[in-house]
Amino acid sequence: MLNFISGISATSAALNAERIRMEVVSQNIANANTTRSLDGKPYRRQQVVFESLLQQQSGGRSDRPLAEVRVARIQNDQHPLHTVYNPGHPDANAQGFVDMPNVNVHEEMVDLMTSSRAFEANLAVAKTARSMALQTLAIGKR
Amino acid sequence: MNTLSAIRAFTSPELQAMRPLNPGLASPRAASIPASELQALASDATQAIGQAPKTEASFNGVLGQFVQDVNAKQVQAGQAVAGLLGGQDVPLHQAVLSMEEASVSFQLMVEVRNRLLESYQELMRMQV
Repeated sequence: MLNFISGISATSAALNAERIRMEVVSQNIANANTTRSLDGKPYRRQQVVFESLLQQQSGGRSDRPLAEVRVARIQNDQHPLHTVYNPGHPDANAQGFVDMPNVNVHEEMVDLMTSSRAFEANLAVAKTARSMALQTLAIGKR
Repeated sequence: MNTLSAIRAFTSPELQAMRPLNPGLASPRAASIPASELQALASDATQAIGQAPKTEASFNGVLGQFVQDVNAKQVQAGQAVAGLLGGQDVPLHQAVLSMEEASVSFQLMVEVRNRLLESYQELMRMQV
């Protein structure tokens, strides 16, 4: 398949990765107070790990393949859980302490903004690539 | 390349040698062009024309392939949008990017068509 807008596949992969990151952040914020996750234990903050992936470009130029980004894995944050004293809580232990998720909402907001800015940057790349292609098509127009 | 090689045949050393003849075309020296040189020119030109289909794909085939590629892009964009609206796992940006790509390739096709028509009309206007 021909590739008319150069570098669009790398940009598309980056947008996808940032979208996944934003989804993980939203999951973290949503579960900031979940004491029972799927495995029955308190929710643990999730983190995305990006890695580059060498993608053979279909539109020729096999000598200089573009490195794309993708989410390698989503892993648990290893920070300890927050413990609060709340004897009335159904998940409280014998001493009345409850393990709360290790999610810090402020950190998550910063992550969200970083992800949003990165998404914006990639959108700007896509926009510029498109306008470059259109300007190239206008060569020699009278 | 095909037309260029024909032009090259016309600007070959044989013709360069004829340059001084230009001011007086009707001069008796015009008859002095050796027939062998003209023959060489003619064979050069026919060789250039005859070679073209072997070395390059046919113009028709290239154009047809191009139109099909553009069509494939349009179909791909349509599928992405349908998948997005149909609730499948198609990211929004992917749908928009494929639409953009389809649009740019379509414009390229229109541009190629415009250039071809332009050159055709230029040829038709040519005084013989």
